[in-house]
Amino acid sequence: MKRSEQFRQANREAKTTVLATIVVILFWIAAGFGLADSDIVLFDTPIWVIGGCIVSWFFAVVVAWWLAEYVIKDVDMKEDSTVKGGGK
Amino acid sequence: MENLLNLAPALLFLAVLLYISYWVQQQSSEARSSNFVKDYFIGGRSLGGFVLAMTTVATYSSVSTFVGGPGVAWQIGYGWLYMAIVQMVVIFLVMGVFGKKISLIAREIDAVTVIDIIRARYKSDALANMAAIFIVAFFCATMVAQFVGAAKLFEAVTGYSYMTGLTMFGIIVVIYTTIGGFKGVAITDAICAIAMMIGMAILFYCLLDKAGGYSAIMAHFRANDPAMLEPLSRGKMPVSLYISQWLLVGVCTLALPQSVVRSISYKDTKALRNAIIIGTIVIGVVTIIATWVGVLCKGVLTNPDLAAYGGSVDNIMPRTIISVMSPFWAGVVIIGPIAATISTVSSLLLTSSSSIIKDVYMRHLEKSGKSLSNEGVKRLSMIFTILLGFGIYLISIAPPSVIWKINMFAFGGLETAFFWVMIFGLFWHKANSTGAICAMAGGVAAYCITMAMGFKVMSLHQITIGITTSLLFFFIGNAMGKMPDMDTLKLFFPDKYED
Repeated sequence: MKRSEQFRQANREAKTTVLATIVVILFWIAAGFGLADSDIVLFDTPIWVIGGCIVSWFFAVVVAWWLAEYVIKDVDMKEDSTVKGGGK
Repeated sequence: MENLLNLAPALLFLAVLLYISYWVQQQSSEARSSNFVKDYFIGGRSLGGFVLAMTTVATYSSVSTFVGGPGVAWQIGYGWLYMAIVQMVVIFLVMGVFGKKISLIAREIDAVTVIDIIRARYKSDALANMAAIFIVAFFCATMVAQFVGAAKLFEAVTGYSYMTGLTMFGIIVVIYTTIGGFKGVAITDAICAIAMMIGMAILFYCLLDKAGGYSAIMAHFRANDPAMLEPLSRGKMPVSLYISQWLLVGVCTLALPQSVVRSISYKDTKALRNAIIIGTIVIGVVTIIATWVGVLCKGVLTNPDLAAYGGSVDNIMPRTIISVMSPFWAGVVIIGPIAATISTVSSLLLTSSSSIIKDVYMRHLEKSGKSLSNEGVKRLSMIFTILLGFGIYLISIAPPSVIWKINMFAFGGLETAFFWVMIFGLFWHKANSTGAICAMAGGVAAYCITMAMGFKVMSLHQITIGITTSLLFFFIGNAMGKMPDMDTLKLFFPDKYED
């Protein structure tokens, strides 16, 4: 992959990550605040706690997995030029 | 209380960390003799996915994850857990947005610090020096606060004095950071992250056991404290607080230099991809267990009046630990918060040291045409790291009040300083140094002043003011500055300027 192509790909990945974050936030709102008025109780716990905390976290893990598997592409990272000691 | 048995687990844990960083030093001696800076400050870009994930989470989770946060959860209830879980996005956000691009550029120019990247992008020593000052000032205050928090917890739980605790883990973290360098910090961080999870899981179990089971605690909430079961906690947890926290511990952590620097340390993109998944899992586990313990300990510490527990939410966790477990297990569980503390301190200490030695001092030498031998850099870096660490330790013995003031500003201040400078630097080709300097200086000034005055807009945390001001200043300054030169544009935006 040419360097310009690598950067174009990195830009796409960054944009998708931002969108994915927004989706997670919306899910978190829906699964927590969205269920806050429900009286359903599971395992002694109000449903909004399970949705907003546990399920939202599962959802974030699925999103992270999707990013890692399908969005972020492997590129060959060139090994940086070996420089003499003493910094730059 | 005063018996050696409850000191032993923590001592053993610290000894293991010390040995590991000694081992890392032995392993790295060859790499360090050829290029010390690269090995010491960035681990020779060799981190795999697991260690990358663990060190990012461990640096991010601090003593407040285990003491301050759960203390507030005791007061507010499930609303605080619901808020705290926002941190689930921070790992994939920083790695997905910056991870690959920064690494590509860092390898091109041999960058080992975030400031290297900023200097290469904006070609401004004034900006780089300002960034170094903010990093060192805010990091030092944070390190002191971490030490003090952990030493107080140690005192309350084990019965040994504040000084014993502080000296024990303070000295050891300084030594192991100094000899282990970045790789030592990363590997010990990984072990710390595991220790945090185990410690909290034990506490969680003992807490439920003591309180007569989860159902009993929940029944207690329903009967006596229904606000604990509502997201807004009957007004104690307003929506504005949710938004503030989303920004402060969620989205705006994107540009924190101690997180971003990890994006230039990994081995290959496979490591990055694995770290995104592992990091999101682990930060969720750490956040959920620690905060949930905070919520549920209301089932043990049932007096709703905080004054009954010494008037500070910081007392809630130590009192919970003491009341639900034997001294020996308390000594085991205390490893969790100590691990969180030292894994944060080790990373901040090394980043501070790299800012001064690499970004300011070596740059100064370079400009005046001098250079330092590899051996000279090695000696200087290690001496500086250990002196700075001991300085932090000494200040923590009797911290001056100004430290607390700086610490209060630290997290949001760093976010304000670096947020737009990093985002525009990497993703907007027209961003220039005038804009970046205005954004960093103006944003931090606006943030600190409004924090000090207690001025808020729509009762949102001052981070919103800092970030907004910084953005405006960036645009104003940018309009007055010059376009970056062609070399910079080709380096940072080959997709636009090279084909």
